[in-house]
Amino acid sequence: MPAPGRRMILWQIALGAAFLGAWQWGASAGALDKFFFSRPSDVLGRVFQWLIAGSIWTHLGVTLAEAFLSFAIGVLLGVVCGFVLARVPFLGALFDPYIRIANALPRVALAPIFLLWFGLGIWSKVALGVTVVFFIVFFNTFQGVREVDPLILNNARMLGASERQLIRHVLIPSALTWIFSSLHISIGFAIIAVVVGEYLGSSKGIGYTIAQAEGVFDTTGVFAGMTLLAAVVLIVGAAVNRLERWLLRWKPPPSSAEPPLG
Amino acid sequence: MTALALRGVTRRFAGYTAVEGITLDIPAGRFVSIVGPSGCGKSTLLNLAAGLLAPSEGSIDVFGERLAGINRRASYMFQQDALLPWKTVLDNIALGLRFRGRDSGHEAREWLTRVGLDGFGSSYPYQLSGGMRKRVAMAQSWIVDPDLVLMDEPFAALDVHTRLRMEGEILDLWTGSNKTVVFVTHDLEEAISLSDEVVLLSAGPGSRTVGRYPVDLPRPRNLIDLKTEPRFHQLYNAIWSGLREEVLKSHARTR
Ligand SMILES: Nc1ncnc2c1ncn2[C@@H]1O[C@H](COP(=O)(O)OP(=O)(O)O)[C@@H](O)[C@H]1O
Ligand SMILES: [Mg+2]
Repeated sequence: MPAPGRRMILWQIALGAAFLGAWQWGASAGALDKFFFSRPSDVLGRVFQWLIAGSIWTHLGVTLAEAFLSFAIGVLLGVVCGFVLARVPFLGALFDPYIRIANALPRVALAPIFLLWFGLGIWSKVALGVTVVFFIVFFNTFQGVREVDPLILNNARMLGASERQLIRHVLIPSALTWIFSSLHISIGFAIIAVVVGEYLGSSKGIGYTIAQAEGVFDTTGVFAGMTLLAAVVLIVGAAVNRLERWLLRWKPPPSSAEPPLG
Repeated sequence: MTALALRGVTRRFAGYTAVEGITLDIPAGRFVSIVGPSGCGKSTLLNLAAGLLAPSEGSIDVFGERLAGINRRASYMFQQDALLPWKTVLDNIALGLRFRGRDSGHEAREWLTRVGLDGFGSSYPYQLSGGMRKRVAMAQSWIVDPDLVLMDEPFAALDVHTRLRMEGEILDLWTGSNKTVVFVTHDLEEAISLSDEVVLLSAGPGSRTVGRYPVDLPRPRNLIDLKTEPRFHQLYNAIWSGLREEVLKSHARTR
């Protein structure tokens, strides 16, 4: 997405402020029931209260650790499997129907099973996150490796590249664009998946905090947990963007003529 | 010594015969051009010589050895842009040496200078003009010091002036290098100016060699003045009458 102009940023801020303002005013004036909708000022206040009180940091740390582990394991498995199945057509064809079936399974339904298998600790959440991240990364890597320009591959072959050198100098860089587009999505999904896991059964994490708040009808607590998660996803996303811009510096900058989508 | 010997080489693609029964000897150290109407199978022939395609029938010998798999004695300058877009100019030039496990920095910088790209070593291909990219490709394929150089219409996409300069540079590189060059082009003037011999392919399908024309113009050649010499015109007319016939056939078939 091309960077928005300065004027557009002002409009965007205005929209956000108008939304929050309407919410705040509606809840204060009684048009919205504070019990069900809380208030932006209360939510923000709760977030700061948590951050100062300190116990939220442990929960945040647990959630981030789970998300990071599921992300790392999922990406590693996805990239390796994507490479192997794309480079060995026999295996690719053999596994094709099973991967489609596995990907069609509703992941949330697996959460209780993972709780049984891996217990209430972090590993049941990591397992859930991995099942989400793996497929996104796998499909993108598979596609990226398949779409390598055969001309560039032939050029590298003629210059004397071995199979390993082809992977390192041609296939990985070429698939990187695809892999990156999957990282953006899978980071958010990894966090959502582990939070869902925590929500369904755990004693730590942001998902647990949200479930606790919900248990006592504390809408403000639920919104505060969500706000915290959104902030984390945005920060991690920005870091991935920077890494991507550096790793893909060989690409021509996108032309401004492109429609601002994606 | 024969650098490249094709014996009855036929190549089919899913029922379509591109080249058929081609027998051709290219002596070592010669600059040989291959011309023919577009779509007749020139690139196919180079891909066969490079070992990127296997012949459906017949055999290919490279310096006396039967070719199986990639041709390790050859380097290949492709018709389209084949630089690695994620590598800098310098890394692209050094690639062949790196693949061979040789320290490449010094030599790559030498080649950077030789192809006139000083100061562009850390640029990426997308930042270069078409002519500059061709220079990088040239350095990339020559740095590995191949015995056989295959070039597929390397300058077809360039403007006339850039093209003339690059043709001169290719001749400078080749002169005294003992390398064998197989140069594919659809431009007869280019073929005659550069080569020792012009090989004419017939229109496809089932293209075969229909003529071999030695070019007895003295070397070194001045590419700018060459085209005004009477002998150049005699050669041009002789080969053109053959090429013209094939081009007409090709038009008739694709109509
Ligand atoms: N990989 C391929 N699959 C199918 N047909 C091909 C393939 N490569 C070349 N051909 C066909 O073979 C013929 C010769 O192609 P090519 O060698 O590229 O011609 P030229 O380089 O002389 O223009 C063309 O008709 C082309 O369509
Ligand atoms: Mg061609």
